[in-house]
Amino acid sequence: MKWVKRFVVIVLIVTAWGFCSGMGLVNDYLLPHPWKIAALVWSLITKGILWNHIQVSMWRVFEGFFITFCLAFPLAILVGMNRLCLELLETPLEFVRHIPPLATTPLLILWLGIGESSKFAVIVLATFFPIFLNTVNGVTRCDNKLIEVGQALGMGPIQRIIRIVLPSALPVIITGMRLGFGYSWRALIGAELLAATAGLGYMIMEAEELARPDIVLVGIITIGTLGHLLDHVFFGLSSRLIPWQEMEQNHVGS
Amino acid sequence: MSGLKINGLDKRYRIKDRWVNAVSNISLSIPEGQFVTVVGKSGCGKTTLLRLICGLENADKGSIRLTNGELNTVDRQISMVFQEPRLMPWLTVRQNMLFALHKEKDRNKAGARVDSLLLMLGLTEFQDAYPSQISGGMAQRTALGRTLCFDPNIILMDEPFGALDAFTRRKLQLELVDIFFNHKKTILFVTHDVDEAVFLGQRILVMENGRMVCDQLNKLPYPRNPLMSEFLIVREKIIKTIVDS
Repeated sequence: MKWVKRFVVIVLIVTAWGFCSGMGLVNDYLLPHPWKIAALVWSLITKGILWNHIQVSMWRVFEGFFITFCLAFPLAILVGMNRLCLELLETPLEFVRHIPPLATTPLLILWLGIGESSKFAVIVLATFFPIFLNTVNGVTRCDNKLIEVGQALGMGPIQRIIRIVLPSALPVIITGMRLGFGYSWRALIGAELLAATAGLGYMIMEAEELARPDIVLVGIITIGTLGHLLDHVFFGLSSRLIPWQEMEQNHVGS
Repeated sequence: MSGLKINGLDKRYRIKDRWVNAVSNISLSIPEGQFVTVVGKSGCGKTTLLRLICGLENADKGSIRLTNGELNTVDRQISMVFQEPRLMPWLTVRQNMLFALHKEKDRNKAGARVDSLLLMLGLTEFQDAYPSQISGGMAQRTALGRTLCFDPNIILMDEPFGALDAFTRRKLQLELVDIFFNHKKTILFVTHDVDEAVFLGQRILVMENGRMVCDQLNKLPYPRNPLMSEFLIVREKIIKTIVDS
């Protein structure tokens, strides 16, 4: 029933879209019938074109996300555990946080070229802050009473970080990663729209130049579907990693 | 096993523009294997005293030593059961107890120790439950089990049964007396409940405004009955001391 509810609105929208298109209420060129889009998706999949663009975009997102995580996570732990670091980095990080990653694309292309580096840089900028800020938040908001338990059980500072601070911050860290992943996906498409030779963003840009709104629609639907699927995978992963949180929520709810 | 020697202990806190003496010139000697209860009104400095002994706070003046050497938590000489269970929410009951055995390299040995304590505390059935799934009494029992797993020489207990209902509290008090006799630990138990102090302690200390105002041996035989006239006499004496101070 839960699954049915999730798709009710989508089915209604597609039905209305099909009805309007079938009755000639909208220009078939500007908004082709859903069946035509489905047929085009099938054709792009069988020819391997769509899969190729998806692969390129996914690879960029995963690699960019991995690089960002390796940068943001240790820095967040350092900053979260050290008040001086937090005070020193607060202003510059706040400055950078307010700059939309796409605004830096022209400069990044100029500095790093039109290749992969500039796209990775855009992903890093987009993903860094959700991961960094959530991790800092999780680390600094760790209940001091739990840290005292570690102290009373003879744990040193490093052990207290590994065995208490990080597990306690894990739900917030995973939320940051989930947000960061969504941001990186959006930023990548933006970067590919501006400068790329492959990827879903490029596919949309090329379709615009070829006056093919049907391919643009396929690109949009693919991006939305993949983003939703990846978010779902992340959600499933977080439920497995933090089962106690679900129990706590159930307990509060009961 | 080991006892405790406290000499001229002072701790002050600054609240806005004034200084408040939480612990003031406390000197105390607790021989090994003694069950000591510290009783006093809320805010009299009982918890601060325990936190200083456990090393969670630093004293302004004075010293705390073990009767057989230097004091520290690292060598399992001292540990504390807090007012709230303070269980790690991401760990099950069993994992929370194993948490205390972080230094034990032999995991089988650690597991066997946890198993025996789970059995002793009646938690075996709930070993896979998370803290949010168990009652307050079970959570406090888990916290006690965690400290017993750590196996310190001295156990500090900060009103551990304060938030429990009367039935669970009495049950845990009886279990604690059993544990005291079976494990031969030195216990320093803080409470604001005079009945609890008399029921548990071989020696009762009364604190008021950061000072120790009474130090009395309690020779009533275990298990104690709170309705016995001897029990009531000791109880009245402690209450009178608190009221008079």
